[in-house]
Amino acid sequence: MSEKIILLVEDNPSDEALTLRALKKNNIGSGVVVVRDGAEALDYLLDRCSDAADLRAMPQLILLDLNLPKIDGLEVLRRIRADQRTRLLPVVILTSSGEERDIVQGYGLGANSFVRKPVDFVQFTEAVRQLGLYWLIINEPPPVSWH
Amino acid sequence: MSALSREIQQRYSEAFSSYLAGGDEVALNQAYELGRKALADGIGVLDIAITHHNALDAVIECGSALARSVEIAKAAAFLAETLSPFEMSLRGYRDTNDRLIAMNETLGQARAATEAANRELEAFSYSVAHDLRAPLRGVDGFSQALLEDYADRLDDEGRGYLKHVRESAQRMGRLIDDLLALSRVTRSELAREQVDLSGLAQNVAAQLQKAHPGRQVEIVIAAGMVVDGDARLLRIALENLLGNAWKFTAKCAEPLVEVGITSGSDRAFFVRDDGAGFDMAYASKLFGAFQRLHSADEFEGTGIGLATVQRIINRHGGRIWASGEVDRGATFYFTLGDGAAQP
Repeated sequence: MSEKIILLVEDNPSDEALTLRALKKNNIGSGVVVVRDGAEALDYLLDRCSDAADLRAMPQLILLDLNLPKIDGLEVLRRIRADQRTRLLPVVILTSSGEERDIVQGYGLGANSFVRKPVDFVQFTEAVRQLGLYWLIINEPPPVSWH
Repeated sequence: MSALSREIQQRYSEAFSSYLAGGDEVALNQAYELGRKALADGIGVLDIAITHHNALDAVIECGSALARSVEIAKAAAFLAETLSPFEMSLRGYRDTNDRLIAMNETLGQARAATEAANRELEAFSYSVAHDLRAPLRGVDGFSQALLEDYADRLDDEGRGYLKHVRESAQRMGRLIDDLLALSRVTRSELAREQVDLSGLAQNVAAQLQKAHPGRQVEIVIAAGMVVDGDARLLRIALENLLGNAWKFTAKCAEPLVEVGITSGSDRAFFVRDDGAGFDMAYASKLFGAFQRLHSADEFEGTGIGLATVQRIINRHGGRIWASGEVDRGATFYFTLGDGAAQP
């Protein structure tokens, strides 16, 4: 079975640990790559994966926080959508913010989904379970050789 | 030129002619007295100024013909003196104008300061939303992780403590959310339109019933309440008022909630329930943020809902007040200001 990679863009170590725990509890924790700021995320997506041979290492899902060091989440999203190699990747914004402005901008820049992290960990785990189920199993991803 | 101005001008000319022909000053004084009185009685300053101007022209004409400079100077001085109310009015206008300009400047500065403060508030709310909730998630999440993974190494007391930690974190999460909602109500633009308040109330009631299928609450809503207001904000207000009515009737056998309009001259909308009510001695505390009249054990809540409702009503230029009695229910009344079409 080809590995389904989730790219988790998250700078808060607690949130990272909790998200990984929630994924693991739902048996979707094996292929998670964690990057801790926007620059790292872009390095991973746009530099390391520049060769066609590496396209398989492209994540099937990007879980993107908004408030990130160096390059913020919305800018990361903008550059993902601007690049031919990554423009079709499913991006789910997973953030503390529920501000209308962020939601509108997120969708405007082409986010596939916007999820506000609940404070209640039981709810949070459930949200992560559903995200994993939907994006890794139910959803049909863009083909590897789409460009 | 009005008949009165013409009469005054006539009197001036006659008085001048007689004065310059060698008569005394009595006629001149009488003529000016008439002018002063007309001015005091409300003849337009511009009108009287034109009258004086015409008279002065006549004086100068006579003067050059007769070359009697002393008399001309005297007559001109009279005119100048009677023009002084005009000048004072003008100075008054100018002062008022200067003051208005200064006030405008002050207003402009105040507005800039308010806008800056609003931007700051927005930035603050944003960081509250983002930065304060994250650590709470950590507190709640790791407590839950402890409960799941180390439950066998904790006794009942230890597990109880962790549950308290989680409850506290979640409560703070709700507080932050409610505070954000409160600040959003203040920040957002008021978009007035025609709003079907009855329909909105029906909608909110249906939502409550759906969220609490186990409860049986009779909600009676008067038909045809249409107002001019911000639909989104009014919905938040009704959600809070009806939500409270729903919550505080939890211990009633057959709860009844009514939404309607008071009769009589001072008409207001009202939301009435027959639930837990409140002691009127504490009525002044009802609308303060974080003020609660019931313990969390009795009724859950953050104490921000009514503060939010009050802000919404105030932003519409309306008023909100309440009456109630312990165990006899509560009624919340509100108006929506002159701008709103009252029922």
